[in-house]
Amino acid sequence: MAISAAGIIFSNLNNNTLSRLTRDRTVAAIPFACRYRLIDFCLSNLVNANISKIHVVANYNYRSMIEHIGSGKDWDLARRKDGINVISPFQTATTSSAKVFATHMEALKSMKEYIDEFKEEHVVLMDSDFVLNIDIADVIRVHEKTNANITIVTKIAEKDYTSKNPRMFISSVAGKVTDIAMNTVASDSNPELALNIFVMKTSYLRTLINEAEAYGLNSYTEMLRRKYSHSNYRTYCYSGYAASVSSFLDYYKYSIELATNEKSRNSLLNEKSRPIFTRVHNSAPVVYTKTASVKNSLIADDCVIEGTVINSILSRGVHVAKGAVVKNSILFQQTKVEKNAELNCIVTDKSVTITEGVKLSGNETMPFFVEKYRRV
Amino acid sequence: MYCKKECIAMLLAGGQGSRLYDLTKQTAKPAVSFGGKYKIIDFPLSNCINSGIDTVGVLTQYQPLALNEYIGNGATWDLDRERGGLSVLPPYQGNKKSDWYKGTANAIYQNITFIKQYDPDYVLILSGDHIYRMDYSDMLAKHKETGATCTIATISVPIEEASRFGICNTNEDDTIYEFEEKPKKPKNNQASMGIYIFNTKALIEYLELDEADESSSNDFGKNIIPNILANGEKIVAYRFDGYWKDVGTISSLWEANMDLIGDDPVLNLRDSQFRIYSKNQARAPQFVGANAKMVNSMISEGCAINGTVVNSILSGGVIIEEGAAVYDSVIMDDVIIRKNASVYTSIIDTDTEVTEGAVVGKEGADKSEITVVAKGSVIKHIKA
Repeated sequence: MAISAAGIIFSNLNNNTLSRLTRDRTVAAIPFACRYRLIDFCLSNLVNANISKIHVVANYNYRSMIEHIGSGKDWDLARRKDGINVISPFQTATTSSAKVFATHMEALKSMKEYIDEFKEEHVVLMDSDFVLNIDIADVIRVHEKTNANITIVTKIAEKDYTSKNPRMFISSVAGKVTDIAMNTVASDSNPELALNIFVMKTSYLRTLINEAEAYGLNSYTEMLRRKYSHSNYRTYCYSGYAASVSSFLDYYKYSIELATNEKSRNSLLNEKSRPIFTRVHNSAPVVYTKTASVKNSLIADDCVIEGTVINSILSRGVHVAKGAVVKNSILFQQTKVEKNAELNCIVTDKSVTITEGVKLSGNETMPFFVEKYRRV
Repeated sequence: MYCKKECIAMLLAGGQGSRLYDLTKQTAKPAVSFGGKYKIIDFPLSNCINSGIDTVGVLTQYQPLALNEYIGNGATWDLDRERGGLSVLPPYQGNKKSDWYKGTANAIYQNITFIKQYDPDYVLILSGDHIYRMDYSDMLAKHKETGATCTIATISVPIEEASRFGICNTNEDDTIYEFEEKPKKPKNNQASMGIYIFNTKALIEYLELDEADESSSNDFGKNIIPNILANGEKIVAYRFDGYWKDVGTISSLWEANMDLIGDDPVLNLRDSQFRIYSKNQARAPQFVGANAKMVNSMISEGCAINGTVVNSILSGGVIIEEGAAVYDSVIMDDVIIRKNASVYTSIIDTDTEVTEGAVVGKEGADKSEITVVAKGSVIKHIKA
């Protein structure tokens, strides 16, 4: 049976701890995995489950995201019926200070009119700072089969995982939620990290919003904690690659993992039936010259490689000149690394130039960031 | 609804391309892969949109399935328009008769109604089997300036090859006094590129005359152009001096691919002001493994390279396993080269698997000995 679901993507609710990456872009527009932006994974997960009504909630700095989404054509979301819609903060001529939503429940309350119009049976809520490639259709199937009120996608947290933002950690017995905590680390009693993908009936979301309004609840956790003990809240424990991008270090670590770990890379990028879609730029294929040497790296179109690249991720149009060495680094679009320059554990924002012979090095536990348009 | 266009393009994409042998067995020539992520037809269609021409009729006939799927509604080239845009024009059944396209001129003749819909002042005739970047608006400007009935784009070819082309013999002011189709003794080296701009009214007149002539082979080069000249009307040569290659043979297709690589490639696809557009395949980024060695090559999205690639062009999703090596070759979409296999001077069509240890082509072979592997083949290693 065809899936009847709408998607809501929160594009920027956890931007406070990613300062340098989000100085002038929303979380959803952060480049990731060489040729994508974070929102591509949310959109592709939904589209691959045949969900074609998608609302993207924006609050600040959303220009680059709007430009990226365009008409939604690249995700087959430029539709006459449904398609993609960006919900920006709403300001009227008479309100003096615009109230910009800062939490999930606030955003949902503000878009209540849209949700009241949903004809779809289910709603899928997701955050753009979790990166994974998941079969949402299967989550919905399981959700229906178990008669859950809410199904929360989780992952057993890695032992040493520390989040810069408090994240939702859950414990469950046979899939049923038995405790919910906000924390920065997993504990033995709450080992599952919520990946902030929630599936529920649209009618159930409406009652949650009404309750949130009635009791002045603003966060998911407040909401869920109030109800889980007497509701059927369940977890869908996912075991593939999932990046929780709560800090610049997280961003670096989970990115480089894609270059160095085949299993992670395949889980996110090489699921045959679930491709990741992104905005198309019509760039030429990568050129490797006679002096190129590349190991364990992801390279986007339009790059020209004349030097050495190891364990790195290069976005569109990066140029690595002769004699230059790029190691353990992430270079955003149009970065130029001139002759004999050396980079180790560096993240360059777009259109950065590393001039001839310059050597820059961070450390794997403390990578170094170069802001956009800088010339080093 | 009346929808006037100054100039529309008619792209002849029905050719069989029989000299490409297995590459065009199931695919029309314009849909053959080129330069990694492109198809041959991307070039004329990108040229159109980059020249401000937003109405294009694509005439298909031979093996159109792959071509039609690739073209779709023209969105790849921004030609999905409410007014104008791209239309695929296959032969069709009329109320009195139905016919395949008999020749280039007949193909256009059968679509005069399509042309008239847009009431264009000029019609640009293109063919779907050449690799080049050209601003047609410049040619159109010259056509208007000279007041010619027809303008033919020409290019200098080596005189020893001139007898393979339609040769334009011109006066000093570039007006053409004689057009010779594949002359045995060419008088000069200005070859027709198969690109014509006609005044619409004259084009329709000559097409109707040509159709009435039962002895005609209904071809632009053989019939229409000589007829216009015989009537004393003005035809002007538009000299083009950029890159242009007819990729009608295996060796020319291979050579044109090789023109993309090298220290200073003759054909540069990196010009952001004149992009060549191609259909997006939503592939993963390219991954280069720990044992990869890539020299002087062009490699597309979705490839996973863990072997050696030298002087080669790889299309999307090609997998080169550890110990495998590819030299001087063109590898099309989704080909898998297994461990320790070798490929020399070859063109390998899509979905082929070269199994472990197998060898394709001859080491050190040149362009006269190119090996072609058909779509979906499995090449096995035979133990000696």
